[in-house]
Amino acid sequence: MKKIVSLILALVMVFALAACGQSAAPKAAETPAPAADAAPAEEAAPAEETAPAEEADAMVVDTCILKEADDAMINNYSLLAVNPEAPFVDADGNAVEDVAVNTVGAAALINWLLSEEGQNLAANFGFEEYGEYLFYLKDERPISTAEIPAATEETKKIRLSTTTSVNDSGLLGFLLPIFEEKYGYDVEVYSAGTGKSIANAKMGNADLILVHSKKQEEAFIEEGFSCVIDGMDTERLNWMYNYFVLCGPSADPAGVKDAADVKAAFKAIADGKYTFISRGDGSGTHTKELSLWPEDLGITAEAESFKDYTEWYISANTGMGACLVMAEEMGAYILTDKATFLTFVANDGVMG
Amino acid sequence: MGSSVQKAIELILSADPELLNILSVTARVCLTSSVFALLIGVPLGILLGAERFPGRKVLLVLNRTLTGMPPVVCGLLFYMLFSGVGPFRHLHLLFTVKLMIIAQVVLITPIVIGLMETFVADTSPVLRETARGLGFSRAKEYGLLMNECLYSVFSAYLLAFARAIAEVGAVSMVGGAIAWKTNVMTTAIMMYTNRGSFTLGIALGLILLTLSLLVNIILSVMQGRLSR
Repeated sequence: MKKIVSLILALVMVFALAACGQSAAPKAAETPAPAADAAPAEEAAPAEETAPAEEADAMVVDTCILKEADDAMINNYSLLAVNPEAPFVDADGNAVEDVAVNTVGAAALINWLLSEEGQNLAANFGFEEYGEYLFYLKDERPISTAEIPAATEETKKIRLSTTTSVNDSGLLGFLLPIFEEKYGYDVEVYSAGTGKSIANAKMGNADLILVHSKKQEEAFIEEGFSCVIDGMDTERLNWMYNYFVLCGPSADPAGVKDAADVKAAFKAIADGKYTFISRGDGSGTHTKELSLWPEDLGITAEAESFKDYTEWYISANTGMGACLVMAEEMGAYILTDKATFLTFVANDGVMG
Repeated sequence: MGSSVQKAIELILSADPELLNILSVTARVCLTSSVFALLIGVPLGILLGAERFPGRKVLLVLNRTLTGMPPVVCGLLFYMLFSGVGPFRHLHLLFTVKLMIIAQVVLITPIVIGLMETFVADTSPVLRETARGLGFSRAKEYGLLMNECLYSVFSAYLLAFARAIAEVGAVSMVGGAIAWKTNVMTTAIMMYTNRGSFTLGIALGLILLTLSLLVNIILSVMQGRLSR
């Protein structure tokens, strides 16, 4: 047994060395760039999702923005508190009464995000670094002046189920530490596509959600899963937005650029059967894309609905970054949020 | 690939706190789960291999089936059980390192049991004959068997560790890949792949493989000493 114990100790040491020893290692001082590039997630990701990699040879990105700033392309972000009295059901459909939801914590985080401080921080996020605002505040946004209680033992842990874009863009990584520091909360971020985030909340695993798909949010409220927090007049607290953009090969064979509006552009792609990459993962971006196709095509989230279009309609079922790489490889059209696309272009060759 | 190797080195040199956190969570999860799997699996495997009792064959078949359980199924099962609406919701274990370890123990233990059973079933008849001939007590007989097994315990541990460190399906389901808390190497690689940062994913993969190599070298050297 002694041997096994000493063995385990040796293993622990290896890991400790690997994990800690490196901080003592000399940093690549003469080249400041690598350290900055190499830092994962929060630093390296200026925009919606971190920079997608291209081939090592850093070929020039051909995909470009063809259609933007169309009213149909607005990307609204909303906060919804989870209702502790919601009709939760277990896997067999039986009602579950005593689901633990930290409503106090959720309200605290919402009130802070909607306070003047939180809103200003979010609105200015990214400008200093990238010379471009990544998120804009709605004109008619809810504003909170409520006092935020300090965390207690019971309310300390806040489970936030969110869409990947606000997390990968670094927005949450920038905002949450300020909030945590000030009030003593501990926010755990579960980041997935909007569909999965909402499903996670319905399973009683979140105290609040931050998502960007009006349809799915309204269904969530309709089913009674959200509640109005004190001082607000509605469940769906829509306070920020940015834009989706339609991208594609610079040659633009479908003539999307000259289309009257974005719906006409989608029609042109469908009519010409030009390759289109769909997220296909129930995310907010996917939901938005589904609403832009001509209705007679009948494209929905169901695989059945696009089985006749598989030669040009590609349901990738993966993250935004991976989809952009795919679109670039295939010279395809794609709907993406603008910030992710800007990072994709800006980091081309650097991340690779 | 060249740029990935470079990226991996840069990543380590940058001593990024998030990377260090991912490494330490990875170490915690896969070392603990593999040791627990060993503690549970070795005695059970020896029993199954050395003893003959009714129902043994059934247990063996069950164990072999569990060996092939897809991690993601295991993860989904634990997600449902420990979810906010699941039967074990009061334990508040979902999205914690503890539950990741439990799920991995469930995944890995059958492998350890199977390996030990195979070895013991092979050696124990001969050993038992010798022990009986020498007039050993039953306890002493098992002591002798344990001593013989030590080499394969190492092999079993190596396999358990490899499975734990390589596994992604279960830990991503029950851990949720929450930054600074339950994000491990494999889930981080998944995350980067989803974002399209393939090179960064490969770089992390290289670090993972290197760590795995180090652990394997150390264990193999110890195992070699043992057999001498």
